[in-house]
Amino acid sequence: MSFAPVLHAELIKIRTLRSLLGALCAVVLATGLFSALAGLDSGAGEEDFDPLFSVFFGVSFGQIAAVAFGATAVSSEFQGGGLRVTLAAVPRRGRWFAAKTVAVALPVLAVGTVAGGVSLAVGKAVLGADATGLTWAEGLRGVVGCALYLTLMALLAAGLTALLRSGVATLSILIPFLLIVSFVVGGVSGTIADFFPDKAGQVVFHRTWDGSLGPWTGLAVTGLWVAGALLAGVWSVRRRDA
Amino acid sequence: MTSIDVKDLTKEHGTVRAVDHLTFSVRPGRVTGFLGPNGAGKSTTMRLVLGLDRPTHGTATIGGRAYTTLDEPLRKVGALLDAQAAHGSRTARDHLRALAVGNRIPDRRVDEVLDETGLASVARRRVKTYSLGMRQRLGIAAALLGDPEVVMLDEPSNGLDPEGIVWIRELLRRLAQEGRTVLVSSHLMNETASFADHLVVLGRGRLLADTPMREFIDARVRPRVRVRTPDGAALRRLLTAHGYEAAAHGDGPDGPDGHWTVEHARVDDIGRLTSAAGLTVLELSADEGTLEQAYLDLTATATEFTTASAPVPAPAPQSQQPQEA
Repeated sequence: MSFAPVLHAELIKIRTLRSLLGALCAVVLATGLFSALAGLDSGAGEEDFDPLFSVFFGVSFGQIAAVAFGATAVSSEFQGGGLRVTLAAVPRRGRWFAAKTVAVALPVLAVGTVAGGVSLAVGKAVLGADATGLTWAEGLRGVVGCALYLTLMALLAAGLTALLRSGVATLSILIPFLLIVSFVVGGVSGTIADFFPDKAGQVVFHRTWDGSLGPWTGLAVTGLWVAGALLAGVWSVRRRDA
Repeated sequence: MTSIDVKDLTKEHGTVRAVDHLTFSVRPGRVTGFLGPNGAGKSTTMRLVLGLDRPTHGTATIGGRAYTTLDEPLRKVGALLDAQAAHGSRTARDHLRALAVGNRIPDRRVDEVLDETGLASVARRRVKTYSLGMRQRLGIAAALLGDPEVVMLDEPSNGLDPEGIVWIRELLRRLAQEGRTVLVSSHLMNETASFADHLVVLGRGRLLADTPMREFIDARVRPRVRVRTPDGAALRRLLTAHGYEAAAHGDGPDGPDGHWTVEHARVDDIGRLTSAAGLTVLELSADEGTLEQAYLDLTATATEFTTASAPVPAPAPQSQQPQEA
C-alpha cells in the first residue's frame, strides 16, 4: 500500500466536510479582518510601535480557526466508531496518521499564505503612511511566517486531538491557552513564556526581537512542540485499540 | 480459498475476559452464522480479526495472513461493524469514495455498490438524514466496495425493514454461492436460521458450538410428528406396538379434536406406518426443531450462561447483576 492513495483519501475527507471548509475560510477572514482593525488603532508614533506586528496582528485570531480546523479534521475520525472504518481500510496506522497530518497541513499552508498576503495588503493600506518603514523583505517574512505558523498551530491541534481522542478536549486546552497565556502571561518577555509554542512562533511577526529566539529559531521551537504533539498522537493511534 | 482462522484467541479488558481461548475457522462457500447473547464476544472477535483491537493472546488470520499485513485490505475483506460509523455530515457517495480511493478501488465500484444496496437515489444526501436501515445499507455497501473474498457483517439486519431483511438474506446466500467466506453475527435466531449453513456459537467469550446448522438443531431438538385421525385408539395401538409414544393433543370445544403428537419420530416413518396399517389419516406434519429451540437448549445446559435467573449473591439480594462487558 503506497502513501499517495491514502493521502488522496484523506484530502477527500477534508474536502467533503463543510465544517472544515468553513474553518479554512475563517482562517483567512479572521486574520485579514483583525489585521485591518489593528491598523485602525495601531498606536503609531508610540515608542514601541511595530508596523509589522500591526499588519499581522490578525494571526492571533486566525490561529483559533486554524486550531479548530486541525482539531476537527482529526476528531471527525473519532465519531461513532469512524476510526474503525478508517483503520480497517488503512491498517498501517503510522502511515494513515502521516497521511492525515499532510492532509491537514497542505490546506492550512495554502490558506495561511493567502491570509498572510491579505493581511499584508490590507494592513499596509490601513496603516498608510505609518507603514512606510516596512521593507519588502519584512513583509515577505511575515507572509511566509503566517503560512508556517498557522500550519504549525493546526498540526499542534491535530496531534493533541489524536492523543486525547477528542476535539472538545483539545480546543478547551488550546484556546484558553492561546487567549489567556498569550495575552496575559506572555506580555512579559524574557521568561519561559518565550518558549511557548505560540509566543516562539510569533517572533516572526516582529521587526525586532530582544529575546533569545529570532523569527526562524522561534518557528523551529514551535515546530518542536508540534513534533512532540504529533509523536504523542501517533503513539496513541498505534498503541490503543480502535 | 480464503478462510478466517482464529487460533486460541484471547482478549482481556482489564480483568474481564471478552474473548477466551477461542479457536474456529470460517470457510468459504457458505454462510456462517455467529451467534451468542449480547456481550458474548462476537463484536470483539470481529475487531480482533480486523486488527483493530490487539489480542492478549492467540492469532486471527485471513487466508493465513494477519489483516494488518494485507495490502489494500478492502479488496480482500469487507466488514460492517457499526452502522453509525459514517460521518453524518458527509454524503454516502463521498464516504464511499474516500474508502475506495485509499484502496485504489475504481470509482465505478462506488456507484455499483450504491445501486446494489438501493441507495443510488439518496447517495448525494448527507448521512445524518438517513434512517438506521439506510445507514445499515451504507455499511453493507462499504463492505462490498472492494468485491472482497471475505465478508464480515455484525448484526446487518438491525433496523432493516421487512423488505430489507429479505434482501440481506438473498444477498448473503448469493455471496456464499459465489464462493466467498461469509461471517454474519446476530442474536436473532429465526433470522439466522433463514440464511446460515454453519454456526459458530459463543457464550461469555468461549466457543460453545462450531457445527453445520442442521446438525446443531437435530442434535438438540427431538423431532416430532403431528397426526390427525378420527380413530385415535387404533393410532395409539399401532404406535405403541412400534415403540412410539403418542399423546392426544389439543382439546377442541367438543372434546379431543383428533390431534396427536408423536415424540422422537420422523414424518416419513409415521406416514409409511399408518399407510401400511390402513389407518385413516386426515393430517400429517413434521414438527421440525427450530434454531431457537436448539439455541435455548444449549444455553440452558451451558454453564457459561448465567442469566438473570441465576441466583443473586446472598449478601446483597437487591443489588443489580453486574453487566457483561
